[in-house]
Amino acid sequence: MTTYVPDIEKAPEAGSRKEPSYLDVTKGFWSWAGTLDHKRIGLMYLVGVTAAFLCGGILALLIRLHLWTPDGAIFENAVYNQVFTLHGVFMVFIFIIPAIPASLGNFVLPLMLGAPDVALPRLNLASFYLWLTGTIMAIYSILSGAVDTGWTFYTPYSLQTQQAVVSMGLAVFTLGFSSIFTGLNFIVTIHKMRARGQTWFKLPLFCWAIYATSVLQVLATPVLGITVLLLAFEHLYHIGIFDPAHGGDPVLFQHFFWFYSHPAVYIMILPAMGVISEVVTVHSRKPLFGYKLLAFSSISIAVISFLVWGHHMFTSGESEFVMLAFSFLTMLVAIPTAIKEFSWVATIWGGSVALTAPMLYAIAFLIIFAIGGLTGVFLGTLSVDIHLHDTYFVVAHFHAVMMGSTALAFFAGVHHWWPKMFGRMYNETLAKISAILILVGFNVTFLPQFAMGSQGMPRRYATYIPEWQIYHQWSTVGAVILGIGFALMLGYLIHSLFAGRKAAANEWGGVTMDWESPTPPNLYNFDEEPVVTGELYDYGHGAKH
Amino acid sequence: MVQPVIAFQDPLGQLPPQASTFAGDVDELFYFLVWVSLASFGLILALLVYSSIAHRRKTPDQPALSNTTHNTTLEVVWTLIPTVVVMLAFAWGLKGNLDQQVAPADALQYRVEAFKWGWNFYHPGATTASEHIYVPVDKPVKFTMTSRDVLHSFYVPAMRAKRDVVPGVKQIVWFQPTVENGPLLDAAGQPQTDAFGNLIGGFDLFCSEYCGDGHSVMHRKVYVVSQEQFDEKPWDLLPEDPVGRGEFYYKLNCVACHSVDGSRLVGPSFLGLVGREGRHTDGNAYTADEAYIRESIRKPMAKVVEGYAPVMPEFTEAQLSDEAVGDILEWLKTLK
Repeated sequence: MTTYVPDIEKAPEAGSRKEPSYLDVTKGFWSWAGTLDHKRIGLMYLVGVTAAFLCGGILALLIRLHLWTPDGAIFENAVYNQVFTLHGVFMVFIFIIPAIPASLGNFVLPLMLGAPDVALPRLNLASFYLWLTGTIMAIYSILSGAVDTGWTFYTPYSLQTQQAVVSMGLAVFTLGFSSIFTGLNFIVTIHKMRARGQTWFKLPLFCWAIYATSVLQVLATPVLGITVLLLAFEHLYHIGIFDPAHGGDPVLFQHFFWFYSHPAVYIMILPAMGVISEVVTVHSRKPLFGYKLLAFSSISIAVISFLVWGHHMFTSGESEFVMLAFSFLTMLVAIPTAIKEFSWVATIWGGSVALTAPMLYAIAFLIIFAIGGLTGVFLGTLSVDIHLHDTYFVVAHFHAVMMGSTALAFFAGVHHWWPKMFGRMYNETLAKISAILILVGFNVTFLPQFAMGSQGMPRRYATYIPEWQIYHQWSTVGAVILGIGFALMLGYLIHSLFAGRKAAANEWGGVTMDWESPTPPNLYNFDEEPVVTGELYDYGHGAKH
Repeated sequence: MVQPVIAFQDPLGQLPPQASTFAGDVDELFYFLVWVSLASFGLILALLVYSSIAHRRKTPDQPALSNTTHNTTLEVVWTLIPTVVVMLAFAWGLKGNLDQQVAPADALQYRVEAFKWGWNFYHPGATTASEHIYVPVDKPVKFTMTSRDVLHSFYVPAMRAKRDVVPGVKQIVWFQPTVENGPLLDAAGQPQTDAFGNLIGGFDLFCSEYCGDGHSVMHRKVYVVSQEQFDEKPWDLLPEDPVGRGEFYYKLNCVACHSVDGSRLVGPSFLGLVGREGRHTDGNAYTADEAYIRESIRKPMAKVVEGYAPVMPEFTEAQLSDEAVGDILEWLKTLK
C-alpha cells in the first residue's frame, strides 16, 4: 500500500458513481422522516442535538450576562433559577448524552464495521422519535410553568416546587429510553455486523468507545427512569420515599440519581475519547499508540464508573468508611484516564502532523481534557473536596470535561466526518479560526471560575458578593468569545452545504473502513462488501510493534 | 501535627484566609495538587506544541517520522506515576477528612436551624436565635444542624468547613478557629458596613446547596472573638424596645426576601406595608392591616400578592412567637 495523498482535483464527478448517494437516492419529507437508513437518522440527530446545543448555549450566555454585576444584571432570582435549570437540562439530557453516539455513532459505526446499516434499523428510528418526544415534553414543561430545581432535581426542593417538575421528569424518562434503544442497537451491531476478518482487536477505537458507552446506557439509564418516576409519584401522591415530611429520605434520591448520572458522565465522555482517537491517528498519519491499552481503558473506565457515584455526596453526611471507599474508587478512574491522555500525545509525537481543522479541535480537546482530568483529582481528594464541593471549582471542572472535552470532541468529529457525510468541504481557514476562538474562549470563561471556586464562591447563585465581580466579568467575556466561535462555526458549516467545494473521496487519508465507502456513501454504504485483511491503522509504511 | 518534608506554597494565591486548624493541612494538599497539575499540564502542553511544530506535515505525502505503537517501559511508567500520585492524594485527603468528621468531646455546642431563606443560630445556652455566629478563638466549636424545609449547606470557606443541612436528620459540622476576626464596631457599638452594605470583619458563611430563590442571600458572618469578648455574650443583642426587637426579628427571618427600601426581592417590600392596598393572585383586593400581616406570617399561602410567586414558608409559633410578630408589627409601622 502506498501513502495516501488526498487529491482534490480527483474529487468524484457526478455520474461517476455506481449507485446514487444516500442523500440523493430518495427525496421528500417522508423519505427522511420515515427513513431506516442509519446515516439519515444520524443526520436528523445531528440537526436536533445542534439545535439543542444552540438553545442551551443561548441560555448559558444569558446566565453569564446576568452575572456581570453582583446583584444580577438581567433576571429576578426566580427566573435566573429557571434559566440555569433549563441550560442544564438541555445540555445534559437533550444535547450531550445523544450528541456523539446518536449522531456521529449512528453515521460512522456501521461504516467502520463495513456494515450496510445498524442491526436494528426500526429500533434506531424509534429511538430518534423518543428523543424528539422527550424534547417536546421538556419544552412543554417549560411553557407550562418552568422548572427551577437544577438539572439534578434534588429532593425535597423538587417536591415543593411547581408541578412542571413532573412533566420534566417524564421528559427525562422518555429521553432515557431513547438512549437505551440506541445503546442496545449498537451492542447488537458491534457483535453481529462486523465485516469478515474484522476481529475485536481490529475494531477502530471509536467502536470500542461506543461499545463501552452502550453498555453503560443499557445498564445505568433504567435507574434514572425509575428514579424520575418515583419522583413524579412522590410529587403527585406522596408515597413517602424521598420526602422527609412523609417519612422518606432526601439523600436516597441523591444516591439513585447519581447511580445513573455518574455513569452518564462517562456516557458523555467515552464516545468523545473514541472520536479523539480516530481524529488524532488520521491527522498524525500514525497508528494509535497503545491501542489495546486504549481499548481496555475504555472498558475499565466504564466498569469503575458504576462504583464512584458517592463522590457527589461527600458533604451529605456519609460515614467515613463510605467516603473512604468512594474516594479510593474515584482515584482509580484517574489512572486509565491519564493513560488515554498520554497515549494520544504519544500518537501525535513523531507523526506527520497536519494541523487541519479537526486536528485543531482535537488538540483543543487534549488541552482542556487535561485541565478537566487534573482538577477532578482535587475533587476526589476528601479533605480538599469538603472545601471545593458545590463551588464554582466544580462548575469549572465539569464544564472542562463536558463542554471543553465532550462538546469539542463532538465538533472535532463533525469536522472530521463532514466531507464524508455531505461530500462537501467547509472553509477550513474559518474553521481553524473558530477552533482557536473556542479554545481561548473556554479558558477565559472557566479559569476564573476555578479561581473563585477555590476562594469559596458557591454555585447556583443568582447574586454574589462584590469581591468576585472581576472573575465573573472575565468569565462573561470568555463566554462571549465562545459564543462568537460557535456562531462562526454554524455559519461556515451551513454555508458549505450550498457552496462548499466538493470533498475528495477520502479527504483526510483515513484508513479505517468508513473512508472506503463512496463519498457520500451509498444507501447501503459500500459498492462491494468489504473484507478486512490488513492491519488496523496501517498508513502504508508498516506498523512497528 | 507532622510537618511535611516539602512545604508546598500556593503558586496562584487563590485560597481564602486560613482561619481554622483544618486550613493548613487542606491547603498544603491543595497546593501539592496544584504543583502536580501544573507540572503534568506543562509537560503535556509542551509535548503537544513541540510535536505540532516539529513534526508538522510539510508535504502532502510526508509519512510519519516514527511508527512505534508500543513502548512497554514508557507505558508502565505513565501508569505507575499517576497511580502513586492519586494514591498519595487519596491517603492524605482521607487523613485530613477523618479530622473534619469527628468533633472533640469538649467542643462548644451550637444549634443551627436553616430555612428558606435564612439561618437561626443558637449560641451555647441561648434561647433566642442570632443573625450571626460568634465563636471564641482557639476553641473547638460544634454545630448541630437541622432544616425546616429543603436541603441547605453550611459553608464557611475560611474554616474549610462544609456540611449539608438535610431535613429530617441532625447534621454535625465542627471547626476550631485560629484567627481573631470580630465585627468592626463604631463608637456607638454598632457593626460597621462597607460601601456595599456588607458588615466589615468576620468570615463569610454561605449556603452552598441550592435551595431556591433566596439561595444566594443566605449570607451570614462568623465572628471569631477573644475568650473575654465571648464571655460578654456579644450575640445577645435582643433590644429592650419593641421597635428594635421587631427589626432584630426581621433581620433574622425576613431580610432575604423583603426589602425596606422599596426594591423588589422575592417578596414585596416592607416599605410602607402597613395600610398598603393591593390585589391577591385570586383577584381579591386587600388592605394590609394588622390581622392580615399576622395571617401572612402564619399562613402565607392563603393569600399571595399579585405578581409574586407562592414560595413563602410558614412561620409557626415555635419559630416566631406571637410577641415577636407583635414586635415586627410595631417596627413595620415605622417604615413609611
